[in-house]
Amino acid sequence: MNTIIFGEGLERVAVRPITSDIFWITHCLGDKAQDIYKNYFGMLPNAADYSGHRIVDYPFSAFLVRDEKSLMIDTGAPRQQANTLKAVEYVLGDKSLDYIWISHVELPHAGNAPVLKRRYPQAQYMTVRGGEQYALHGLEGAQLMAPGEVINLGKHQLESVEPLFVDHGLSQWAYERTTGFMFTADWAHNLHEPAKNECFMFLDEMENAGYSADLHCDDVKVNAWYQFPWLKWTDPDEVCAAVDTFFARYDTKILAPSHGNIIRGDMARYVPLIKEGMRQAIAM
Amino acid sequence: MIRNIVGDVYQIGEYVEGSYGYEAVLVYVIMNHQHPILIDCGSQLHRAGIMQEINSLLAGHTPEYIFLTHSELPHAGNLQQVAKQWPNIKVIVSNVMLPYIEIAPILPLSQITSEAAGKTINIGGRTLKFVFATLKDQPGSQWVFDTQTGILFTGDGFGYYQSAEQIGKFSDEVEGGIREIQFRDYHRTAFHFLRWVLPEKFNPDLDAIFAQLPVKIIAPIHGDAIRSDIPTHVARLKQAVANIRNVV
Ligand SMILES: [Fe+2]
Ligand SMILES: [Fe+2]
Ligand SMILES: [Fe+2]
Ligand SMILES: [Fe+2]
Repeated sequence: MNTIIFGEGLERVAVRPITSDIFWITHCLGDKAQDIYKNYFGMLPNAADYSGHRIVDYPFSAFLVRDEKSLMIDTGAPRQQANTLKAVEYVLGDKSLDYIWISHVELPHAGNAPVLKRRYPQAQYMTVRGGEQYALHGLEGAQLMAPGEVINLGKHQLESVEPLFVDHGLSQWAYERTTGFMFTADWAHNLHEPAKNECFMFLDEMENAGYSADLHCDDVKVNAWYQFPWLKWTDPDEVCAAVDTFFARYDTKILAPSHGNIIRGDMARYVPLIKEGMRQAIAM
Repeated sequence: MIRNIVGDVYQIGEYVEGSYGYEAVLVYVIMNHQHPILIDCGSQLHRAGIMQEINSLLAGHTPEYIFLTHSELPHAGNLQQVAKQWPNIKVIVSNVMLPYIEIAPILPLSQITSEAAGKTINIGGRTLKFVFATLKDQPGSQWVFDTQTGILFTGDGFGYYQSAEQIGKFSDEVEGGIREIQFRDYHRTAFHFLRWVLPEKFNPDLDAIFAQLPVKIIAPIHGDAIRSDIPTHVARLKQAVANIRNVV
């Protein structure tokens, strides 16, 4: 199966297999990106690099693990609801969806949970233990996982991971033990250029077409700076040490952030680059 | 519960119980003569009560603007209801938010404007100033300062848990005001990133806001308005941030 695209513009959703059974379900704007991101990147010191000669785009992704039991990692946002549902149905066919696993409760991550639950009523909401007021955040009845707890799907085992860098208080990342697939939600993502057909590409495909390590590092920096405005109050050595400890603990073969192109392997090359991006974001 | 904070500014909303006591989920209403402004619109769980309170306060007037401190459900969950009753209402959000995807598609995007921190807006003769949200759980969060009353609306920032007896009381109606431990318990759960934050880097940024703005009242969404002794409460918040870092 190649990339399948449903809808267009603000509502467009693509689905693409990462492994034979893990699917990337993602929205990005393509040729509409310039209109939306012109202001968004306007406050950067080097704004022209992001809205001028290099017109970048920013994906919003969910991931679907198809197995004896199937699981969605996040759900996408309500504006893409109809096409997200089409993508899920396309992958699952007449199989059921068993788990709706939520990294955190923002709309672009959890906003389609109710419609998925209506379409697949047997699906169980899964989210992170340790918080309160789940009903207030729209997750009434969710089953709660502590970091280290695992959902057994058949061939795949999805472990809840204590996140390093978060915005919302109730957040989790996920690690799939069989494939080494690591989901890091809002952290460690690059940007891509629709004009270079980089929408829905894997990162290695972008690199083959000229995306450089320098650009990648700069993108990680900019995204971290936007996503985690608190980074400027941290100690860069402490942050980088935590990144090292994290990847030493989790043997990561696929890095799948919510808002970037997917990295398929060679993490030894990417970890130093991501750390450098973080270091620069802290200094911004 | 409707309470007048000062002048023409009111707080309404609900309180939810948790292991630390009660957490307020408030909406602020600036009556502003014929040009009412809402600050957030509360949780969908409290829809009926909140809409009833807003309507009784407005007494037939139409809110012109709603400022969303950010788009999470406890803050924006009633937007659908608000838009249904007042379909021409204009929404203001931070310029770092992406309304097309971070706000449910229930209003035309042309009714949503994005404003940068530092900018001011004049609504019916009243000047509001947008302020960088020092404490936030979404990048697209923003604080707003009402120059007429000196109220700084701080979204999730400056929230605190309260006891049953404290519900609906302003800080000056509580013996000793809001305690450091109340700020600490709330901020530790709301802002997990504070375990990374070094107080010596954070404090000057928070202090700068209060040096620049003549803040008389702090109005968080998750705590009743803080009407007394702003320097003491800011100092307690900084102490809470330091304690979260040191005690994890
Ligand atoms: Fe995100
Ligand atoms: Fe794209
Ligand atoms: Fe929040
Ligand atoms: Fe909140």
